[in-house]
Amino acid sequence: MNTSVAKLAQISFRSINFTVQGTPVLASELHTSAPLCRVVSGKYRITKKRDKPLTYEMANPPHYIAHRKSWNSWNTSSLKDGLRRSETAVEDEFIRRFMTGTWHGLVCSEVIIKRQFNHIRVAAIMRRAVSPTKMYFLLGYTEELLANWLQCPVTLELQTVDSFKDVVFKYI
Amino acid sequence: MYSNIVITRQISKIKCLCRSLVSIESQKTPQSGASSDGISPPVRIQRGPTDILQALSTTVGIDPTAAHYKYHDDPYLIPLSNYRKRAYALAAEAGRKAAIWIRDEHADLFTTRIWDPPLRKKTPYYNADPKIEAFSPKPIYNDESKVTEEDLIYTIRNALIEDSIKVYQLLGGSQGVSDELKLQLLQLLCFYNEKEPDSVEWLEERWFSANTRERQAATWRLGSLADTIFTSMEPKSPEAYCAIIQGMAKYYQAERAYELSQEAIEKGIPLSTGVYNALLGCIGFLREGATLRIEALKSTLMQMKEQGLSPNIETLSACLRSISVWGGGIQLQNLAMQLVAEFRELGIQPGLSAYYYLLCLFCKERGPRNNILSKILTDLESRQHLEVNEPTDTNFFITAMGVCSDHLQDINMAERVHALLMKNNNYKLVGDAYKESIYYRHLVTVACRHAPFEKATEYLDTLIPNIYIPEPSVMEEIIRTLEVAGAGDRLTQAWSQIIVFGHAKRTKLVERLLSALCNCYEYQEEDVKEKIRSAAESILKHGETLEQKDESRDQRSPVSQKLSATALSNIIELLSDVSDKSSERWTSVETALNKLKQEQATGVPSKPEAISTLAEKAASMGKLEIAAMAVAYLAECGFEEAAGASARVLGAMLNRPEEEVRALLQEPAGALAGSLHPAALAVLHSYHLAKTGTAIRDSESSTSSESDSESSSDED
Repeated sequence: MNTSVAKLAQISFRSINFTVQGTPVLASELHTSAPLCRVVSGKYRITKKRDKPLTYEMANPPHYIAHRKSWNSWNTSSLKDGLRRSETAVEDEFIRRFMTGTWHGLVCSEVIIKRQFNHIRVAAIMRRAVSPTKMYFLLGYTEELLANWLQCPVTLELQTVDSFKDVVFKYI
Repeated sequence: MYSNIVITRQISKIKCLCRSLVSIESQKTPQSGASSDGISPPVRIQRGPTDILQALSTTVGIDPTAAHYKYHDDPYLIPLSNYRKRAYALAAEAGRKAAIWIRDEHADLFTTRIWDPPLRKKTPYYNADPKIEAFSPKPIYNDESKVTEEDLIYTIRNALIEDSIKVYQLLGGSQGVSDELKLQLLQLLCFYNEKEPDSVEWLEERWFSANTRERQAATWRLGSLADTIFTSMEPKSPEAYCAIIQGMAKYYQAERAYELSQEAIEKGIPLSTGVYNALLGCIGFLREGATLRIEALKSTLMQMKEQGLSPNIETLSACLRSISVWGGGIQLQNLAMQLVAEFRELGIQPGLSAYYYLLCLFCKERGPRNNILSKILTDLESRQHLEVNEPTDTNFFITAMGVCSDHLQDINMAERVHALLMKNNNYKLVGDAYKESIYYRHLVTVACRHAPFEKATEYLDTLIPNIYIPEPSVMEEIIRTLEVAGAGDRLTQAWSQIIVFGHAKRTKLVERLLSALCNCYEYQEEDVKEKIRSAAESILKHGETLEQKDESRDQRSPVSQKLSATALSNIIELLSDVSDKSSERWTSVETALNKLKQEQATGVPSKPEAISTLAEKAASMGKLEIAAMAVAYLAECGFEEAAGASARVLGAMLNRPEEEVRALLQEPAGALAGSLHPAALAVLHSYHLAKTGTAIRDSESSTSSESDSESSSDED
């Protein structure tokens, strides 16, 4: 388990380093220390003023997955004899970064990635900060570029909200 | 990583083999027949790979309540006007184009697998296995690129006109290319007339492209590359002749095409049916006058027979296409029917294009009514499915619906056409966005004019707004229908639709709606009346916001027109129907009256009695200011109702019987100045203004009548 995580991190680190050349800062963001995970990872620290906004997804710690909230990546790679484990993980990370960068400051939720056959569906909640025409431009751009990058059909399934406040579940 | 796949592939092969064995067995079973328990399974039906998907898709029809699936299903992103529909679809496609541009510009980045370690990246890999052509970058050709014949073959296969010309030149022109490739290039150039076609990939651009009508003029490029290639080819093969003649005829270089065909015949070069079809299509450019043209048409057909060529479905539509543009008349119509009959004997059924040309020929705008459409529909309805042969096939449905609406004016026929369009997969024959909107314009118009009201509203409810958004002229038709049927509730909805569809700036349409609202106001239920009143108020407010926008933009000529005086008086009539004094509607009435008085509206009201009724009502409710203003306006405009109205208003204001009021009115106005309420005094002035045409000079008490009197004396 531990080695595979380390391997995954290494691979993703390399590929990220490759795609975003000359930004070694990313190196410090990835850490693979296992013992901390159980206590800290996927949970948010309470602020002094209790003014940190959390979405529903953020408000529920990881052990509530499949109970109160659901997975962010849907695929069969981690089943027995599943294919393309590391590739899927790296691609998903790529899609997430691509989405948050392309829809800059508009993504209000986690980016959900669902894979069915050779089809990738990407879902997210967006802010209505830009005009619908621009949104359609970005839609077409994202779908086509990701499809060409990942060599399979990609569909975006977006929902829009008026402001970020609409997705805030609680403040901590 | 693909090692697993290989195994599964083999497994699947084995499975496939097993399955086929089983199926062979099961096919045999019924023949052997003598199964012990008397059960014989049916013979296996061979299915295609998408048969199940198609069967599933037939179970879902079109959902008229949802937007088209090319739009994102989110309230913010669903378009509600024609402009937005177009803008959104094209914006998405522009985004896709941007992505494709990036892919082609940075082609080197798109050949590697992103998860590969850096060392292995030197050799090109593809993300997909097998490699998918559609997702791989397209080559870019410029003056520096090193090209081979492979590139030329690639560009010709993919119909990249400009690239193929570039590659051809880079290869060294006619010397550097083999004859076979030259012929292929010639055929490509002749087909497209050396113009880059709209890519098949950009569906929305094709769908929304405005230049749907091709010009019927000689657009063939003389002395172009196609001509050069043709002259450089020696000996000239029959294919080369066919290509160049068809190209010239397709782009209406008729005489040159005709000469070349004669030359080919003299040389004994066989020509194809396609060449004759093309020549038949441009006979009108060679001869003048119907008789000469008919002779030429017949002789060309005879020539075909001599050459031993059998005509096909395109021959028929080419003939009919020529005939349909030569004008009308019984002679041409008979010829067309003869042709159709003869082709039927040959076993060639007319296609949609042929029927389209027949409709053009028989159903002229001002000609006598001809019921040929009924026969055509009977024929088409009997067919299993409609085959698409030519691009002009998409003209059939729009023309047929046009004939139903303008020529036959028959809703039953329109319904038959619509049912045929909705049958099976026929909807793809609707053409493009432009044709689709015209088709629905005709359908809605004919439904509004000639269908019973229930049927018309059924059509309106299913078509609007997701499938079709009416243009202003159609909207007017709809309003007329609703007015005739007295559907006040739907009329108020029409106002909100007008806003959503972006027609609210069209003053004429809004005025039409207002008069419709007024006309059917009387016999509505009380709650509908309330709705109509609020709609009228919203129309007034909308006009104001438009004006404010114009002012803030500070343009010399305002974009939006102002409502006319008649429309304003209609608003006043609707709004003044309230029973309590404290209603907020009175302020709206006052704004409308103010607008009228300050001459912001064009013309004068056509129904002044509405305003005099308002004045009396306002007076009896104690809204003296409004009453005075209304009467003053009437007097200024010089309506004859003014005198009577002001007398009655004064009576209501002072609460005195009629005789006393009359006596009061006879007195000189100056004497009363101190004793009367200012509003009553203003009414008095109006009375005198209406009676004598001049105001009384000595009254300084109300400034409004002062300025009014001046303006009226100017008019005198």
